[in-house]
Amino acid sequence: MSEERGERRPRPRGGRRPRRKVCSFCVDKIEYIDYKDINRLRRFTNERGKILPRRMSGNCAKHQRQLSEAIKRARAIALMPYTVD
Amino acid sequence: MNRYELIYIIDTGLEEAARKELIEKVSALIANNGGEIEKVDETWGKRRLAYAIDYKTEGWYVLVTFKAPAELPRELERNLQINENVLRYLVVKLVEKRSNVKPRPVRPAAEEAAPAVEDAAPAVEAAAEEAAPAADAE
Repeated sequence: MSEERGERRPRPRGGRRPRRKVCSFCVDKIEYIDYKDINRLRRFTNERGKILPRRMSGNCAKHQRQLSEAIKRARAIALMPYTVD
Repeated sequence: MNRYELIYIIDTGLEEAARKELIEKVSALIANNGGEIEKVDETWGKRRLAYAIDYKTEGWYVLVTFKAPAELPRELERNLQINENVLRYLVVKLVEKRSNVKPRPVRPAAEEAAPAVEDAAPAVEAAAEEAAPAADAE
């Protein structure tokens, strides 16, 4: 992951926020995302129980894949909901 | 031999003796098919399900880690599928490089008695937790 970490490069125009999100799993040096850690996983679902996209969570591709796998496993054994209404 | 992790949910309608027996049976099944039990973890115990399974809202979670030849999970799943006291099961191959999160904090049994009140709460609580990280992600 070598691309520029976006040290607040000024955006030419438009009111986009420049703050680049960083993958929280990389920060915590987690190599394997456990499906049993539902408190952590829950942070990456919205209030309807859907998995947040990378653009929201800021995860790197590698961890986002693992994360979605973990959430799906957690759903399968009723640790997390498929949907919330 | 691979390392696997089995998690399954037992119907809470089952009395304790029968439950113990079932857990024994599953362990025996693994052992008799060339597997090697590493740990049977019942500390999860009774837990509220995230959604109803067969109209049941709680289940008894059992977590088993074991070493086994690659054919065993299929046989194991076949048996769990047959048993109607097992609501759900999941067999996962353990990844060696699990520099994972800390082992799951064990919920004390006392805490299990209380949550009956906050039946309706989980959704709300989930929503609240979701809202927080979204805010600091800005």
